[in-house]
Amino acid sequence: MVLVLALGDLHIPHRAPDLPAKFKSMLVPGKIQHIICTGNLCIKEVHDYLKTLCPDLHITRGEYDEETRYPETKTLTIGQFKLGLCHGHQVIPWGDLDSLAMLQRQLDVDILVTGHTHQFTAYKHEGGVVINPGSATGAYSSITYDVNPSFVLMDIDGLRVVVYVYELIDGEVKVDKIDFKKTTTTTAH
Amino acid sequence: MDAHPVATKKKKVPDWLNSSLWISAPPPADDRPHSSSPDPPAAPAEPLTRAPVPVPPPSAARKETPPEPEAEEPRDGDGGESRESDGPSAEEISRQSQLLAELSRKVVDMRELRKIASQGIPDGAGIRSTVWKLLLGYLPADRGLWSSELARKRSQYKNFKGELLMNPSEITRRLEECTTCDSELRSETSGILSRSDITHGEHPLSLGNTSVWNKFFQDTEIIEQIDRDVKRTHPDMHFFCGDSSYAESNQEALRTILIIYAKLNPGVRYVQGMNEILALLYYVYRNDPDEENGVSAEADAFFCFVELLSGFRDNFCQQLDNSVVGIRSTISRLSQLLKEYDEELWRHLEITTKVNPQFYAFRWITLLLTQEFNFADSLQIWDTLLSDPDGPQETLLRVCCAMLILVRRRLLAGDFTSNLRLLQNYPPTNISHLLYVANKLRVRGSN
Repeated sequence: MVLVLALGDLHIPHRAPDLPAKFKSMLVPGKIQHIICTGNLCIKEVHDYLKTLCPDLHITRGEYDEETRYPETKTLTIGQFKLGLCHGHQVIPWGDLDSLAMLQRQLDVDILVTGHTHQFTAYKHEGGVVINPGSATGAYSSITYDVNPSFVLMDIDGLRVVVYVYELIDGEVKVDKIDFKKTTTTTAH
Repeated sequence: MDAHPVATKKKKVPDWLNSSLWISAPPPADDRPHSSSPDPPAAPAEPLTRAPVPVPPPSAARKETPPEPEAEEPRDGDGGESRESDGPSAEEISRQSQLLAELSRKVVDMRELRKIASQGIPDGAGIRSTVWKLLLGYLPADRGLWSSELARKRSQYKNFKGELLMNPSEITRRLEECTTCDSELRSETSGILSRSDITHGEHPLSLGNTSVWNKFFQDTEIIEQIDRDVKRTHPDMHFFCGDSSYAESNQEALRTILIIYAKLNPGVRYVQGMNEILALLYYVYRNDPDEENGVSAEADAFFCFVELLSGFRDNFCQQLDNSVVGIRSTISRLSQLLKEYDEELWRHLEITTKVNPQFYAFRWITLLLTQEFNFADSLQIWDTLLSDPDGPQETLLRVCCAMLILVRRRLLAGDFTSNLRLLQNYPPTNISHLLYVANKLRVRGSN
């Protein structure tokens, strides 16, 4: 039972001052084993804050990140799953699921986590699953101003993943979940 | 009489108290009065080796004790079968056969069993394991019911393990399987994944009090503490510590029992020290030569631990510390007991040298003396604690009082520092002797 927090596109301090208070009250250290961050934090203070939540932190570079040394893409294995991480501004058209599927096949991962669109999506195709955790602060994106703060918590348990989606709608935290299983016969590319 | 520097014949101190019989482990520089004082036994760390039989048999001592015909035989030096020195004494063998005879009856006579057991239970033949289970009420007196009782309890423990040790992912999955049907999950091959509602508002970051996840994270702290303590239990014994898978399985068993106890008893949870009490129980049950008993030692130890602790729970509950049933009141009862039997010592300890009994008695009482003596001695003390019809709490107080009385000479001669140091590192002593004194404290009325 491994808890993985996926979030990104916070754009602190340029577009948002901080995470919403209700999110912050839920995110306490000691519960989460890994954090994967799509990028655009943008400053070191956010990095440090995330580090206090969990020491195992993975970040890829978004186009506004001040830290230039984050990688463009990252892959890691957690339990039975291979996860891929990329900010997503490199993949055009932005948010296009077929292009993201191409990236996923390139990285050869079961779950690809990207951002940039600031909209939550979860999409399944033959190669695996693509998840976009949205923007954790609700910052405006290059595409739209209408953004609800959201992030994703994945509970990886053997071959099964439960994806909990936390969204702040009208000041209330709404939690949904998505369940999927990895079949053992996933084709290797 | 021997040259007892402090033993003036005050009115309050009874004669028998001043006898050299009560001297325990005088420091080497001291002049030993004569051979009638029992030698301090070597205290090896080896679990099953008993103290070697001290050379002077009680015959010498008997001369000096006042004519107090005890119904039971006075403890001679040794209660156990020491492997290295001379074999079991005749008395020892007779006790073993008495116990075996008692245990093979159709219905065990508990009073008789207690009487024999209080003299000490021999180490062999798994007797102690069975006797302790009887004394703690785990096994009923009627032998015919044993197998069904054991089966029932052991399967109950298995259920506990299954239920309580589930992690929240599994729990939520079970909850869902009750409420929704399974089939809708896997049907989609491609496309946007649909979001579904969470059941009962359960999600990992939930801060609700009834949330399974929240409770899980709160328990993690306790589990970490249990882990730490289990790893530190008896580091010198291969049974508990070491690289062998045997040691690891034992530690795992201790850990599971303590976790389940903590979950079932939210009032007490886990307190440091419970691991020591459990270790002794589990050790005895695991070493039962009967295969089946040895394998189910974990379940047996769990129930006996619960039973044993039920009498002592109040000592562990912090909120009850200052109440009538809490640890402070127990310690003050010990104090009263000492005052009753040996006022001079009491006065010297508490008033003159200001040694607050909480400094030493706390550990004695809460850990049931497991930390004060070596393993083998603790087993012998527990034989008496568990078998005494007065109950373990009362007996414990008497034994603690006896411990103080046995070193009275050194205590009376010492100041705060030396007394405290002595009591916090109680010197190895002849246990049969100690238990004999403790027993006398019951027989004697208030001085």
